[in-house]
Parts: sequence; structure tokens; C-alpha cells
Amino acid sequence: MQLALRTWAILWKDILIELRTKQSFSAMIFFATLVLFLFGFAIGPDTATLSRLGSGLLWIAIAFTGMLSLGRTFQSEEVAGGLDGLRMYPGEVRSIYLGKLLANFTFLLVLEAFLVPVAVVLLQLEPWEHFPVFLGIMLLGTFGFSVIGTFYASLTQHLRARELMLPLLLFPALVPVFLGAVNAMSLALAGDPLGRIGGWIRLLISFDVIFFVVCVWIFPTVLEE
Amino acid sequence: MSDYGATEDGTAAVRLEGISKRLGRTWALREISLEVERGTSLVIIGPNGAGKTTLLRVIATLLRPSAGAGEVLGLPLVRGADGIRRRLGLLSTRGHLYDDLTALENLRFAAWMAGLRARDERFRSILASVGLSSEGERRVREFSSGMRKRLVFGTLLTRRLEMVLLDEPYASLDGDGIRMVDGFVDEWKRAGRTVLLATHRRGLAVRAADRVVVLQSGRLLRYCRPSELDPADLDPSGDGGRAE
Repeated sequence: MQLALRTWAILWKDILIELRTKQSFSAMIFFATLVLFLFGFAIGPDTATLSRLGSGLLWIAIAFTGMLSLGRTFQSEEVAGGLDGLRMYPGEVRSIYLGKLLANFTFLLVLEAFLVPVAVVLLQLEPWEHFPVFLGIMLLGTFGFSVIGTFYASLTQHLRARELMLPLLLFPALVPVFLGAVNAMSLALAGDPLGRIGGWIRLLISFDVIFFVVCVWIFPTVLEE
Repeated sequence: MSDYGATEDGTAAVRLEGISKRLGRTWALREISLEVERGTSLVIIGPNGAGKTTLLRVIATLLRPSAGAGEVLGLPLVRGADGIRRRLGLLSTRGHLYDDLTALENLRFAAWMAGLRARDERFRSILASVGLSSEGERRVREFSSGMRKRLVFGTLLTRRLEMVLLDEPYASLDGDGIRMVDGFVDEWKRAGRTVLLATHRRGLAVRAADRVVVLQSGRLLRYCRPSELDPADLDPSGDGGRAE
């Protein structure tokens, strides 16, 4: 019960601060749209190529923009006086990770709600026929990205070059998520004629579950001195 | 290594034995041994860099000692960290406030993080007790440093604590604020709580003390009653009190 209340407190506080400051989220949406436009310009008006590469380009845009969000995960704590203030509250410190994870997951989902329609237009994606599968893949991929991204953000928060170190450490660890999400989404968009989508979705689910358990388990060690 | 303030009946709120702490290449604390009786106030004085904040952070379990052992409220340092944090509050120099939340929202967040649910009336009464009754809906970003300090005190009042650690509580406060701090220290002592207060404003702090510790360069120079202090102890930096 206390874990849930503390997790809710972190989530409530982070969303409230984001709603009030706004500028960073607006910038993220602008940046993500810009990335998609650049891909569109680079590839040109070849509809077949755009459709074939569409899911990969969409996930690259999510990864780049998500990195901006993840980099700011613990920034509000630094401004507020450092993580020690949170550590001094009694109770399960894993709630800090869970609250931050849910906040990042929410921010990324809102970002994607803006980004996917843009991608549909620019990259000629057609997700509507298999929309529930498309949505499921988005949720699984975003959750995996948030799980490991929040954890690495906590690992790099004390580093002087954290803006550089976070993507350097995070992208290799995210390979299974992107591999699963891009392949599953490509198959879903193509109608999965050979029925191979199940394997990629199982990979995504396995990655999400394993890394969620591991990150929750070892987070207290990361937070302590 | 010397023992200071040994209690014979096991009522120590804090018991440290040969605590040392290394930060990078510097020994911030060297072989500190002392005991603080429950329900009393200990003021830690010393110039900047003496190790006052480090000592409080070790007692608050935010820093692990590099050497030595200790107990806080009957629980071992390090292994008993969660139990200690449950019963102890720390007012750090910077405090922990979110600029884009209002004063009321900051108090609500502090209560939730401590696992407590409370109504807004409770938070409003806390704001009144720290002199911010009309500021509840204002964002902390608009507060002066003195008002922020008052609100940090408010976050401590959301919980029932057995021991309170105050790091430079007088910083940024005006005359009313200083009286407010003294009032809280008296109130906490009357309620049987232990108060540890670290400051370089020696003249102010000693008034609130049952015992005083003088630190310099991480070493414990003296542990005594305020009346037993040497005038030089009140000015160990040799700056004639100009720093105050």
C-alpha cells in the first residue's frame, strides 16, 4: 500500500511539473516531427521504400526523442536539492524507480499519440487494418524502452557527461526491444502473411518482463552511495 | 579515539564509535566517537569544512562510514538505514522543494512519500505554524530563500519524528525565522525528541543546546555543556566571528 502511494506521489509530481512547464514536451514533439520530416526528405517520394522502412524510421524517431525525455528523468530532483531528499523519506526506494518509470512511459505514450499520425502521413504507414496489434506492439516497445531507459538514467545521473553517456550505454541495451518492435510492426503493417509475428512479440514480452524484474530488483543498489 | 557523552542506561539516541569518512582524497571525519542522550539537543559547531554536514549525513544514513560503527535510535548504521529514516528527519542546507509545485502541493508530496495520507486542513495548519498561512497556493518558485527555509521546516512537520537533524537551520532566516527555529527546537525537546543542529553561527546555536560538539578539520575538538565552552571554541576559525 505504501509502495503504491509513494509510486503515485512520484508520478503525480512529475506529471504536474511537466504540465506546468510544458516547454520541454512541446520541444520534444517538435523535434520528433522534425526527425520524421528529415527521413521523409532523405528517402524522397518513393512510396514503396517509405512503407518498407516506415516502422524502423518511426522507432528511430521515438528513440531519439525518448532520449531527451529520459535524460530529464532525475533533473527535477537535482533542481529540488538532489536525490538525497527523496532517499530520506522512509519506505521502499523501489517506488522512486516505479514512479519515474510510469512517468516516462506516460510521456512517451503521449509523444507517440502525436507522432504516429504524423508518421502515417509522412511515411505512408497504414496501421488501421491491424490497429489492435499495432497498438500492442507500440505499448510493449514503449514499456521496454521506458524500463531500461529509466534505469540507465538513474545510473548516469551523477556522471558529468551524462548527456553523452546515457545514449552510449542505453542504445546497445535496447537492441532486443528495437529488433522486436521494428520487425513485429513491419510484419503487422504488411498483414503478417507468413504468421511470423508471434516470435517477435514473444521476444518483446520476454525482454519487458525480464528487464522489469531485474531493474526493480537492483535499483536500491544504484540509489545508495 | 576518545569517548564523549557516554550514557550508562542505554538511552542513547546516537552512539558513534570511531566513525571516519573519506570523501575522495580527503578525510571529512576522523575517528568521531560520541553519544547523544534521547530527548536532548546537541549543537555541532565548527568553521566551514569542519565536517558538520558530513557527520549529520552519516547519522542520517545518507553516507556510509569508511570506518567505525554506530547506532541511531537503537538501530545499526547502514543495516538499519530504513528503520532509522523512518524515525528521523533531516533538514538539509538546500532542502528538498519543487519550484513548480505550490507550497501545499510540496507538503502533500512530502506526506505521501512518508506513506501518510492527510487532508489539506492539516497542511494548512502546518503552513500557519511556519508563518506561511497565506502562501499555500503560491508556487515555490516565487518564494524568497527565507520562505523556502520555512517551508522545508513544514515538510518535517508532516511526520512524527523521534529525532530531527538540522543543517544550518538559521541560514537565510530573519529575526522571526530564527525565533521560529528556536521555538521548534524547544517544542521538540519538550516532546522528548532528540535534536542535532549543525551551524557555523555559533553564538545563535549554543542557546538551544544541552551539549555542544566542536569540530575542526573532521576531528572532534570538544564535547561539553554550553557553559563549559571556551570563548575560543565559539570562534575556532579565528575569524573573530566575522563569518557570522
